[in-house]
Amino acid sequence: MSKPEFDKVKRPETIKLPFMLDFYPLEDEKYTRISQFFENLKEGRLTTTKCKRCAKLSWPPRIVCPECLSDELEWVDIGTEGELYAFTEMRLGAPLGFGQDVPFCIGIVKIGGLLISARIDNARYDELKIGDKLKLKIVELEDGRVFYRFKKPS
Amino acid sequence: MRKVAIVGGGATRCGKRKASWRDLVQEAGKAMFESVDNLSPKDVDSLIVGAAQPERFVFQAHVAPMVAEYLGITPRKVIARTELMCASGQAAIRYAWACVATGLADVAVAFGVEKMFMPDMAEAQTNMTCVLDREWDGVNGLSAPPFFAMTAQRHMHEYGTTKDQMALVSVKNHHYSSLNPFAQFQKEITVEDVLKSVAIAPPLNLFDCSGITDGAAGVILVPAEDAKKYADTPMYVIGSGQASIGNAINNFASLTDWVPLKIAAKEALRSAKITLDNIDIAEVHDCFTISEIIEYEAFGWCEKGEGGKFIEDGQPYIGGKVAVNPRGGLLGCGHPLGATAILQAIDILQQFKGAVPKGRLVNDAEIAVAHNLSGAANVHSIVIYSR
Ligand SMILES: [Zn+2]
Repeated sequence: MSKPEFDKVKRPETIKLPFMLDFYPLEDEKYTRISQFFENLKEGRLTTTKCKRCAKLSWPPRIVCPECLSDELEWVDIGTEGELYAFTEMRLGAPLGFGQDVPFCIGIVKIGGLLISARIDNARYDELKIGDKLKLKIVELEDGRVFYRFKKPS
Repeated sequence: MRKVAIVGGGATRCGKRKASWRDLVQEAGKAMFESVDNLSPKDVDSLIVGAAQPERFVFQAHVAPMVAEYLGITPRKVIARTELMCASGQAAIRYAWACVATGLADVAVAFGVEKMFMPDMAEAQTNMTCVLDREWDGVNGLSAPPFFAMTAQRHMHEYGTTKDQMALVSVKNHHYSSLNPFAQFQKEITVEDVLKSVAIAPPLNLFDCSGITDGAAGVILVPAEDAKKYADTPMYVIGSGQASIGNAINNFASLTDWVPLKIAAKEALRSAKITLDNIDIAEVHDCFTISEIIEYEAFGWCEKGEGGKFIEDGQPYIGGKVAVNPRGGLLGCGHPLGATAILQAIDILQQFKGAVPKGRLVNDAEIAVAHNLSGAANVHSIVIYSR
């Protein structure tokens, strides 16, 4: 018996990286009330919000203080130099969109009294140690959004 | 509050299954109902389904009604799904327990399911990157392996824990899973196998990490006074505890001191009116080898920083201080997120019945604890069972 003929239907096979697989935050004030963070970052400043009432420093930035529920928060600089608290290197199992970067280092950085996770550039795993001094690095996506990383000073 | 019993449970085999999400549901459901007497799906009045990411793994939401439909259950008291990532199943058990204890439900099923193998595994890895704070941690590539790699690095740095000690956890759990026909990995491994396995995120190698797993499982909960109607040897939920400190990395004072686990364990023991020494079996969340080492410490079976020595001394083996993961753990059995806690509960029930293979049977076990962490170990969920 010959293979029956079926109507062929199409579905789009090539799509650009969908929003659901885009890890970077939407930064524009159309989408978020903390767009100031990204504006500050574009000026080379890593900032977060501090509560004017109870002085709680939050990370990531907020619009309401989780300690006292005040919405009177101010932007404060947390510095551009940090210390490496822990690190590893993504060797296998990278998410989609990260493949071209493998292997890359990920760390937790102590800065301004906070523990912040970040990509660590400019070094392989074997070249890093706990306590290393790191500098803020800012990267820009093709669509103009910015994000922070840290790098080992060369 | 009424005392609550688990009268039966059933599960799929775990692993890379040639089966769809809904196939897994049906396999486990059939096994669950066949494990009890005098109970049909229509007797179940409440269903809680633990499922971590069906939206991303199989592009399906509203999964509790789907499980009900496939199992012929017609809930008329409570139906809901619980999502607490790796502890989604433990959340389902706790809610089902609470529903029966308060009288809201009389016959409740706590079910768990995850289909994690996808045609493109990069997509599956990607799903795991929205567990931590996606915009501020996940964006850096921070999924579970890198996070626990850094936890391991800190533990090694602060306490001198070694990769050999971490490997011993995997050796132990693979030893027990080699005796578990439901396990994903049924082969013994050596310390050398672990150390020579490919690096995922240093210092963690492949065999320091639990697998990606397909699996489903369900248990049936009823008031203790009704339990003997359905099973000769039910087990009882005697205590529970849960604690959380946010989701983002910045909430930690230390990566190696799991404060919410200490809080949850204390509450679980208090509510069960027992002490740690009463626990014969501990099914704890060994998503990575370092996790189990920190759990020895946070539960209090050994001092802070001594977890590596604890396994080196053989203390978490059957016959040691406490039998830790005689099921084979997540490392040996696999980790089908939503189903994991249910699988732990079922194995404990089998232990109490004396129905597990001899080499991993804990003789005369009376009390067992089941524990899951989720996220960046910032949430811990515990249930204590008695024979
Ligand atoms: Zn405040």
